[in-house]
Order: sequence, then C-alpha cells, then structure tokens
Amino acid sequence: MDEQNLKKILENQGVPPSDVNAKKRALNLAVAEFKAHQQEKQKSSQGMSFLSRLTFKTTQTRRDPMEQASKKKLVYGGMATAMAVVLIAGVTVSQYQNFGKKEAFDESLRLASAEITAAPGTQEASPAYIEAVKEENKSSLPTPAEPPVGQIAIPETDLDQDSLAVMQAPAVDTRWRKLQAERSSPAMAKMSSSNSVANTMGFAGGGVAASPPMFMPEPYPNPYYQEQGRDKFEEFKVNAVKQVAQEPVSTFSVDVDTASYSFVRRMINQGALPDKDAVRVEEMINYFDYNYAGPDSKAEPFKANVTVTDDPWAEGKKLVHIGIKGYDVGTEHPHSNLVFLIDVSGSMDSPDKLPLVKSSMKLLLESLKADDTVSIVVYAGAAGAVLEPTKVSDKQKIINALDSLSAGGSTAGAQGIELAYQLAEKNFNKDGVNRVILASDGDFNVGISDPEALKDFVANKRKSGIFLSVLGFGQGNLNDQTTQVLAQNGNGTAAYIDTLNEARKVLVEEASSTLFPIAKDVKIQVEFNPKAVAEYRLVGYETRHLNREDFNNDVVDAGDIGAGHTVTAIYEVTPVGGPTSVDPLRYGETKTEEHKVDANFGNELAFLKIRYKLPDEDTSKLITTPIKGDVTTPNEDVTFSTAVAGFGQLLKGGNYTGKFSYDDVVTLAQKGKGADTFGYRAEFINLVRLAKSLASSQGSVPIEQPIIGVPTPPVQPMPLPLE
Amino acid sequence: MDKDEEHKLIRAAQSGDASAFEALVNMHYETMYKMAFKWCGNKTEAEDITQEACIKLACGINAFRFESAFTSWLYRLVINTAKDWYRKAGRQPSSDGLDEVQVGSKSEDQVYAREVLAEVCKLPEGEKEALLLVMGEGLSHKEAGKILGCKESTVSWRIHEARKKLGALLGKEQKYG
Repeated sequence: MDEQNLKKILENQGVPPSDVNAKKRALNLAVAEFKAHQQEKQKSSQGMSFLSRLTFKTTQTRRDPMEQASKKKLVYGGMATAMAVVLIAGVTVSQYQNFGKKEAFDESLRLASAEITAAPGTQEASPAYIEAVKEENKSSLPTPAEPPVGQIAIPETDLDQDSLAVMQAPAVDTRWRKLQAERSSPAMAKMSSSNSVANTMGFAGGGVAASPPMFMPEPYPNPYYQEQGRDKFEEFKVNAVKQVAQEPVSTFSVDVDTASYSFVRRMINQGALPDKDAVRVEEMINYFDYNYAGPDSKAEPFKANVTVTDDPWAEGKKLVHIGIKGYDVGTEHPHSNLVFLIDVSGSMDSPDKLPLVKSSMKLLLESLKADDTVSIVVYAGAAGAVLEPTKVSDKQKIINALDSLSAGGSTAGAQGIELAYQLAEKNFNKDGVNRVILASDGDFNVGISDPEALKDFVANKRKSGIFLSVLGFGQGNLNDQTTQVLAQNGNGTAAYIDTLNEARKVLVEEASSTLFPIAKDVKIQVEFNPKAVAEYRLVGYETRHLNREDFNNDVVDAGDIGAGHTVTAIYEVTPVGGPTSVDPLRYGETKTEEHKVDANFGNELAFLKIRYKLPDEDTSKLITTPIKGDVTTPNEDVTFSTAVAGFGQLLKGGNYTGKFSYDDVVTLAQKGKGADTFGYRAEFINLVRLAKSLASSQGSVPIEQPIIGVPTPPVQPMPLPLE
Repeated sequence: MDKDEEHKLIRAAQSGDASAFEALVNMHYETMYKMAFKWCGNKTEAEDITQEACIKLACGINAFRFESAFTSWLYRLVINTAKDWYRKAGRQPSSDGLDEVQVGSKSEDQVYAREVLAEVCKLPEGEKEALLLVMGEGLSHKEAGKILGCKESTVSWRIHEARKKLGALLGKEQKYG
C-alpha cells in the first residue's frame, strides 16, 4: 500500500473544517469550567484552615515561588539541616506503615498528589535545588525515568471522576499527609505541615539519608519482607486441640490450592520468613505430588489411603494421615473452552508479571488439544476481547495475540470479567470444560468492584457450568484473600506462579487436574472414637473449616478435585491414656455415659466420611472408610508430607510441634524424598535449610524495614514549573 | 507559535489566569478537533468530543508537567476523552457522518481520503491511536509509545496490524482505480 498516500490522508486531508460555532461553544464552556475550577480550588484551600494552620501560607498559591522561597528558606533552611535525619527517618517509616491504607486513594489521586507535592517543594527549596530543576527543564528531552505523559492520571479517567479527582486531590491528599506527619512526630508536624518539606530537605541534604521511597520503581525489590507490605492475606487462627468428648466430629472442605507454598518459597528465597498468615499448611502439603493408590474407575472418582504413624512432633501421640487420590483421566481430556482473563494494568509491567503470564499461557497451549478453544480478554485501561474464541490448532494466532499484550495505563474499571464469561458462554461446550482463567497480580478491578458482588457473580456463573481458576503473579500487590475466595467460589484452583518452572508445574504437568474437575464440593468428615482417641488436632485447613451439619447439606459449597489431584490431610491424635494437653476434670464428666462405645468397633480410631458430587450432578455421594488404630511404617510419601506439615507449622510459630526443629524437617524430608523426578522435594529440603538460617539470624521475628544499607533509589525529582 | 511563549501561557493558565487559558484553548482547538475527527470520522461527534476534552483540560491543565510537548499531551487527552465518550455512550465510532459531508464534494482525492478515514475509524482502539500518532502526527514509534503508555515495539506491531487491515482496502482501490 502507498505509505505516502496514507500519511497524507491521515495528516488532515480528509478532515472537514471545524464549525466556528462549535468552537466558540467549546471555548466558552471550557473557560467557564476553568473559572469554576479555580474558584473551587481556592475554596478548598481556604476551607482547610484547621489543618493548614501550621503553614505560613496555603501551599496552593504559587504565583511567586521565588519570593516565597527566599522567605521560607531562612526559616526552614536551618531546621532542615538539623532535623533532616530525624524527619526522613520518621517519614520513611510512617509512610511505609501506612502505605497499605493509602490504597483507598486511587491511582489518579496518587499521581495528582505527586504534582501537589512537587509544586510547593519549589517554594521551600534551596537555590541549589531550584537551579537543578531549572537545568532539567531547559533540556527539552524528558529524562528517561519520567513517567510518560500518557500516564498522568487526569486524561485516563472519565470526566466525572476526573474533575472530582482534580478538585479533591489537593484537599484530601494534603490532609492525609498532614495527619501522617502529625502522627509520626509532633515536633515534625510543627515544623513541616506537609511532607513536601521533608522531600525537599532530603534532596537538599545530599546523602544524609534516602528520601522516602514513595514511588519506588519496581526494579528495586526490597530484599526484606515487610509485615506491612501490600500483599493481603486472610488472617486466621491455627486449629487448636479439640477434645473428642466435646467435639467428636471434625469437618472440612478439601483444598487443592498450592498458592501458599509458592509464595512461601519466594519469600524465603528472598531472605525473609513469610508472614504467618501467608502460610497455609495444607496448601504446602498439597503442593507436592504423592503417589497414593488411586481409584480403579471413574465411577468412584477417588480413593482414600489412610496411614496411622507415630507422631514425630510429640511423644506418645499419633498421626492419622489421610491421602486422597483423584481418578486420573490420563490422556482422554475432555474438550475445553478456556478464556484467559489477563490483567494488563500498569502494575503488571514487571518481568515476573505480564511476561511470565504470556510465557505461562503459551505453555498451557502446549497441553491443550487441537480442537480446544481459547479466547483472551484483557482488563485495564484497554479492556476488551483481544482474541475471540480460537481453536488451538490456530496456535500462531493465539501466540500473536498474547505477544501483542502490553502492560500500561491505570486499571480503569472495565467489564473484563463479564466479557470473559460472555465469551465462555458464547462458546459453551456442554460436554467439555468451560473455564475462565484469571491471571493477575492481585488487582481485581475487573469491572465489579465490590468483592462480595464479585464473589456472588462468580458463584452464580459456576452454577451455569463455567468455572474460574485464578493464577496469581508477582509480589507487592498480591491480594491473596480475594484470589482464594474467587477460586473457591468459582470451583477452581488458586495457584501462585513465581517462575516459569512453577507455571510448567501448574499448567502442563498438572494441566489435567487444574483444568478438569472430577468431583466437586468434596467434604471430609472424621468422627473420632472417644474410646480410642482423647484429643485430636487437624493440621492446616483452617480456612476450609465447615460446620458439622454442612457435611450433609449439598447446598454448601466446598473444594473440588481435579483429575489426578492428590489431597492430604493430617490429624494429630492423642490416644486415650496418652499425654493430653487438657487436664481431666476434677469433678468428672457427667456425660461420659452417653459416649459409651460399642466394643464391636475394635481398635477403630475414627470413621472417615467423604462426600462429593460428580461435576455435572447436584446430589452428593458418600464414601466411608474406618480408620484402624494399627501403627504402620510410613511410606515415602507419608513421611515427606509429614515433613512438609512440620515445616509449615514451624513457619506458623510452632505452637504444637514442641522440640521439632528445622533439622528434623530436613531429616524427615530426606527420608521421604523418593525418586523426586522433577526435583521439587530436593528444592523443599534446601528451602528448609534456608529458612533455618533465616530463623536463627532473625530470631524468628521478621526484620523491620532497614533504613540504612538498602539500595533505595533517590526519589526522582519532579520537573517543576518555574517562571 | 514559539515554544517558550506557549509554555508561558500554560504556566499562566496553571496559576489560574483565565484569559491565558482561553488563548491556549483557542490556539489548540483545531488540533484537538482534527485528532478527534480522525478518531471518530464524524463531524458532530468530533465536535462533541473536542468540547468535552476542552472541559477536561480546564480541570486538568495543572497535571501538565512540561515533560513532553503540550500537543502530545493533548493527543492523549483527546484520545482518552474519545474512548471514554464512546464507552460511556455505549456506541461504536460510526463513519456515517462522513458520507453526508462528502456528498457532491471536492475532488476524487477527497473522496478517497474519506473512504480511507472511514476504514481507519473502524480499527481497534489500540491500532487506531498508534496509527494516528505516527502517521497522522508524524511522531516516532518511541514518542507514540510514550504517549500511549506502551512499548515502542507495541506501537510498531499495532501499526503493522493496522496497515495490514487497511491494506485490503487500499489494494482494492488500486486494482479498480
């Protein structure tokens, strides 16, 4: 085609001249809006008097920055030198601690605040700083680290939010900053009514201390895990010891997620013990593949293998190890209709996020059949279907679509998730697997912003046969709780993918289990025999607890098991007469008579019941197995899973593991290492060793954000308007 | 218009000078309108979008930080306004207006240009914006990437895609013409 021709056309040739009246109208409206906006700005700065009483002048007026600078320079200059260190330290910590709370402020507000921060900065800056900025403004080439103009929040959002954001930004944000300042140190608040002063001082003070890393760019990951990070985890209490006499029945839902292990691994490899809430022991155990005996036919989708062993954590107790193996469909995969819902917001622009998503999805393509279909929907500024349902046989087209994705822009709410489900419905395959796969770093701004509504939406769609799996990527913004909730409600797995290797494990090796459910709403109930067992404790599954009556209630949702999945649950039990952790009652229990057990049950410790539904059925089926009390020598799989359970409990604080140490975990894990074809178990052993040295060097207390010695990049000075 | 003078006007507008703002909008109205027209291919809608963009500019002028040319920044503003406008209205850019305008008009070139533009309007957003910035405004792929907030290579790819799609039309034109 003729390039020149096209160019000419695009250079205004086909554009009819604009209408004079339309121009006038636009001009008048814009000017009116401008005046109104200016007034609004004035008002908002006056109205804040109670908060800004400590400033010399409202920071809004910047008619003559040089004049103000010369006045304030005298006042602030002296204090700056003396207080720079104290201030910056205070601000750094306070900002870090409050960073999570600031999430309430959306992107636009945050960016707008950058402008506000920068502007008053000039008024209080030292001449050297002003010179520096001037220099920068003179050179017309933008500095490379500058955000592209396109990412300025204002033009991104829609008009209403837009004007709102701009109008509120000065008011809300300075207020927030002031509160921060006042909270962190009263002396500081007196001297500086806003952080901008601190910012400037940090700059003027040269290498005294690093400026607050407000907008720290991604490429500088912090080597230490911060308790106050923005990764969100659901808080939960560790399962406590239960007395059989009081609570003979334990009920929970299966959990085949593995996200917790990957996240823990990542944290430890980065040199920090993970947040306790990030450790879900059952997910760590289920991360590994165990070679349990599986069922023989599809009719009974899984089989429970029960082993009773001696407790490695406490003398005199026993472990009841329940290993469930799902029926493996092998190569006879059903037809699948997959919709990738990919987050392409600006936060995904990091090597371990969008690029990894792309590579992972390409890996997944390898494990699909030629007549399976794939669609791609992205959400962020540019929400929409990138790829209409396409057969996997047209692989190049899918790969091209994946390659064309780029992260950028703010996460403007879009109908991402709805669109994804629409595509899935459009291409619905009654006999196959219909699944939306959400890949995100935790920003679930997928169009439905209310988490509850999102949950309901996903749960509703589940009933229509479309399931949801969630793949978490990256770090720093991960919303683990939402990930879990979504996957649980969408009958899917939640996996955390930190490396390509992990992607291979989840999407290729375990493709069949990740994608093809063989049973849904799988619930486990164990009834203990009070004659044989005094106390029991379920290791992990805290977030999967079910009420006793939920077990037989088919409406209550529970976890799902995919083809070939293994699920492991471990109970620690104290036999009657063993070392119970609860003292017997002095006045005896009046109810003991009611618990008289028929001798016919022999040495049965407990009775295991599993309820499940086949994927396309609504009534549950029941599998039961009595658990005999005979102690057997554990096989490799049982030994290894016990080691993982021990490790998980140690990471969670080791309240019930007594003297069991990291070294014991290693010994146990090595004993159960087995063939270990892919090296996951070897990796685990190394991880435990690393955790051990971390724990001893940190005294098992996570280190606070260190102020000195971290390669914190200096804050990019904002180019400022100068007269 | 001298760049310094333009910057002076922007600064004045940023500090609240309404007449400076008016002059600024007056100066750039045409640029914005053309951009909007190329986006939607419809005069009325282009005027509406430009008007909306001007109003946005009134609130958002302070967000301009002199990091790039003011016009580049305006492109972004106009494109975003256009996108939002369509999204809000739930419409698709229609090139209906084009036909009306062109009835009985001008040279063959003009008619052909309109036809191409109509095709441009139908491109997907990403490709359209890349094409308009690079081909229409003569920006480099890199500059366009900066404005659009994506990588240089993405811009190149999108333009390639857009040209492929337009190629069919242009090829046909050559065959019959």
